[in-house]
Amino acid sequence: MDSMGKIVWVKRAGVALVIIFALFLPNMVRSYYLHIAVLSLLNALLALGLNCIAGYAGQLSLAQAAFFGIGSYTVALCMLNLSMSFWLAAPLGILLAVVVAVGFGLPTLRLKGPYFVISTLGFGEIVRLLFLNWESVTRGANGLPGIPAPDAINIGFAVLTFDTKVGCYYLILTVMLLLLVIYRNMTDSRIGRALKAIHSDQVAAEVMGINLTFYKVFAFAWAAGISGLAGALYAGYVRFISPDTFTIGEAINILIMTVLGGMGTITGPILGAVAITYLLETMRVFAEYRMIIYGLLMFLMIVYMPGGLAGAFSLLGKVLRRRLFAGKGDGSAGDTTREEA
Amino acid sequence: MFQELIQQIMNGLVLGSTYALIGLGLTIIYGILGIVNWAHGELYMLGAFAGLFFVVNLHLPFVVGLVASMAVMAVFGVLLERLVFRPLRSAHEMNMIIGTLGISIFLMNAAIVLFSPNPMRFPTEFSSQYLSFFGISITTQRLLVFCVTILLIGLFHYVIKYTSIGKAMRACEQNPDAARLMGININQVAMVTCAIGSALAAAAGTLVGPVFLVSPPMGLMVIAKVFAVVILGGMGNVAGAIWAAFILGLAESLTAGFVSSYYKDVVTFVILISVLVFKPQGLFGKSQIEKV
Repeated sequence: MDSMGKIVWVKRAGVALVIIFALFLPNMVRSYYLHIAVLSLLNALLALGLNCIAGYAGQLSLAQAAFFGIGSYTVALCMLNLSMSFWLAAPLGILLAVVVAVGFGLPTLRLKGPYFVISTLGFGEIVRLLFLNWESVTRGANGLPGIPAPDAINIGFAVLTFDTKVGCYYLILTVMLLLLVIYRNMTDSRIGRALKAIHSDQVAAEVMGINLTFYKVFAFAWAAGISGLAGALYAGYVRFISPDTFTIGEAINILIMTVLGGMGTITGPILGAVAITYLLETMRVFAEYRMIIYGLLMFLMIVYMPGGLAGAFSLLGKVLRRRLFAGKGDGSAGDTTREEA
Repeated sequence: MFQELIQQIMNGLVLGSTYALIGLGLTIIYGILGIVNWAHGELYMLGAFAGLFFVVNLHLPFVVGLVASMAVMAVFGVLLERLVFRPLRSAHEMNMIIGTLGISIFLMNAAIVLFSPNPMRFPTEFSSQYLSFFGISITTQRLLVFCVTILLIGLFHYVIKYTSIGKAMRACEQNPDAARLMGININQVAMVTCAIGSALAAAAGTLVGPVFLVSPPMGLMVIAKVFAVVILGGMGNVAGAIWAAFILGLAESLTAGFVSSYYKDVVTFVILISVLVFKPQGLFGKSQIEKV
């Protein structure tokens, strides 16, 4: 086995370990930490959503909290007013987020420069004000309490229920793992390559025959769909939603997670979401000090380490590998040079 | 009805003046440095706190406090250019926005820790004086906001049009490479631009701090509106930004007065998004073909 093969196996073993750890987590920790784990997973979904449009397509969106809210409110309203099942309401929530994103993205993603960011900021604010002021439907600032838990599923030999923290944790974890498979395949496909080309140089990508608007809107719809999914799961888990959750501040939190974790990678946003959520929940006392540090870190990271934590880890891995293989025989030295080429 | 209308127009002019002063700095920094400065709202916020310190704590006359706050923030602007904008200048456009957004979060939360998150009152010798005519009364402070804004816009126009540094700034805006070949010190121009932009934002903060309240999140609240102003005026277009500032200020206060104060923020963003959709170069921007 050459060193490339070894690295692939090390990575696979790492992923397997993380999955096993995640599967057994409810048996190992107290209920409070399980709550943090659920929030981490939801935030990881949101960060992965933003990563589609910002990390891959290179278009910053501050409307992710709005799509999160659209998913949540659709699910909550369908379940409360139409007594719809969660399993029907959730796809509806995702669909609505995607439709709104396509409708909003088609005109605004054609624009170059900072225009898109500013219009997403405006859009996010409009959606929040709608949740807040459309009182006959959304009950305004009071929010929507008493959202039922997702219905139990009978899978023949067992009945899966989702009205406990553990049940919700496994539901969200399963959704997350399924999504990651699709996500990885998408980023490795023609679409992912097209988005990376657009990120590095729009003009060059256009000259190569990439339909800029199509791919950007596609990425934006994906981003909105994943955020809508997170919103649906959030409504099913917390069972109470209010406009306070879906603010610009939340959009900025999602951005901080994605940037610190590492944009344009899959592990980055997950890493960032888990780390930041943990710090956010356990260090509430130091809220302002924490934000001072995050703000400064965001600037320093973007200037000196645009790859974020994930980028730093892979750099560390490369350095270690070079050290380890440098002392060995000529065969592995050859491998290292081939990798660099 | 008529009095209400006049009152709302007065409010609109005050809002418009704020947007104009902040937007002016934002638009020249974009035009000359190519930086989308998300932290510009924080300069307005810090300017308001500087003014509050000079006028309330040091008991200086308001006009002296205004000038002192502008001077302090001009120095801050130079520091910002050196430490933040210069490392970002060659970055990807999205990274530029993320970087300055990080600085904005940093400054806002630093202000929360330093000055407490609660809104502070900023009384001046003008805020308790009233002018009455036709049954309408407004504070002298509101009148002062509008007059000083016009004065500063005039001064700005003079500097840009008739001084040598203004000429250098215009040259950098048109073509930075050619300007450098003509012997213009680009870094010096960038510093002056940031000093002017920052001082104008500080003037806005000190002027309207007494009208509203002074609090750390005030910068974040205003920056989205100011971006709307700058985009409506056409990014980098100074005259357009000033017109757009007053149009948006009036639209906002008239909506608040005659439609619903809940939806006054919606109006700004609906105008913004519809302009972006139908006339992306802005209301006052010239349509141009970008060469590659």
